[in-house]
Amino acid sequence: MLAFLLAASVKNAPIVHAGKAIALALGIGAGAAGAGAGIGNIFGSMIQSVARQPELRGELQGLMWLGFALTEAVVFYGFLGGLLGYVLV
Amino acid sequence: MSLKLPRLTLTRVILGLFVLAIVASIVVVAAGGAPASIGSFDPSTEFALKDWVPIHLGGLNLSINKAVVYLLVGAALTCLLGILLMRFHLRQVPDRRQTFGETLYDIAQTQVAETGLPHKAIALWFPYVATLMLFIFVVNLISFIPLPFTGETYHHIPVWGIYAATSQISVTLALAFLTFIFTHIEGIRFNGVIRYFRSWIPEVPRAILPLIVPIEILSQFMRLISLSVRLYANMLAGHILILTMIGLLFIIHSWPWRALGLPAAFLFYVFEVVIVVSIQAFIFAALSAIYIGSAIEPEH
Repeated sequence: MLAFLLAASVKNAPIVHAGKAIALALGIGAGAAGAGAGIGNIFGSMIQSVARQPELRGELQGLMWLGFALTEAVVFYGFLGGLLGYVLV
Repeated sequence: MSLKLPRLTLTRVILGLFVLAIVASIVVVAAGGAPASIGSFDPSTEFALKDWVPIHLGGLNLSINKAVVYLLVGAALTCLLGILLMRFHLRQVPDRRQTFGETLYDIAQTQVAETGLPHKAIALWFPYVATLMLFIFVVNLISFIPLPFTGETYHHIPVWGIYAATSQISVTLALAFLTFIFTHIEGIRFNGVIRYFRSWIPEVPRAILPLIVPIEILSQFMRLISLSVRLYANMLAGHILILTMIGLLFIIHSWPWRALGLPAAFLFYVFEVVIVVSIQAFIFAALSAIYIGSAIEPEH
């Protein structure tokens, strides 16, 4: 632990670069995992509802895309956090 | 005897271009495009802005750069598209051009304006949200067409490249600020100052009000961030993805994998153009309409 802190305190140490790369990968990876589940859920529910009531398709479609875009943006918040860690720290 | 050509459908065109991308990357690799070292390729240099026409007003830097040129072209194209599709040669029986214009108008009216805005505000705010949708759609779309605005030259010929004005946080933040300001102006105008700001406070037990009120105020400002970052990060990530996949062609050394970069880039390109471009334009306009509508008619 102490060795890690000592290594990290040196500027441009390899471990700092490694940490930044891990931050970027974790940011987009964890964000994509959550949004993947969410988007799958949205489209699955849409298929179920259209199968039950096909006449509501038009109204549901707008709602579906709204939910899709709101969920998909989560990936990019994670990506942006990772990018900030990569560039600024 | 006439030669029978197969019917040109969109699927076939996309498939043909996909095969062309594979063939082209194999040709480039076989012709010995020298593999570069890993550090020499950096797609983020594509997003650097250089002042082309410097304009400085006091401390403000209003110089014309790549993003401004793309915005101006986008604005001109939006006007042209609106006039050509919706104001010109309208008939009882619409042709394909008029049908496309009517589809755009229909989406803007039924899906964007009528779901978000209350009935009394539609006439006032439909032009704003419809313009927002069309403008962001056009700016997103021209960002995937190669244009000679990269600012670099190769033997005095301008280099063509793709770049999105909406992949710049200042552009999307300015658009989000418009919605933010209009939301509060309309909220105050329709409800009065006291009633509008009181509508921010939800009806909860008095004891947890000190917890809820800061969160509610913060969430008003989080809208600004979420609205701008959603569009900005989507376009930035899409462009970086495409540029990185093309760059793999010059970075990866081992043989069969080198040829995979360009087809992958093409697949991402199709995904971005078909889905992301229109969804992001729609979502920005729809959320603007919902925010303005919820300020005009608060729920309680």
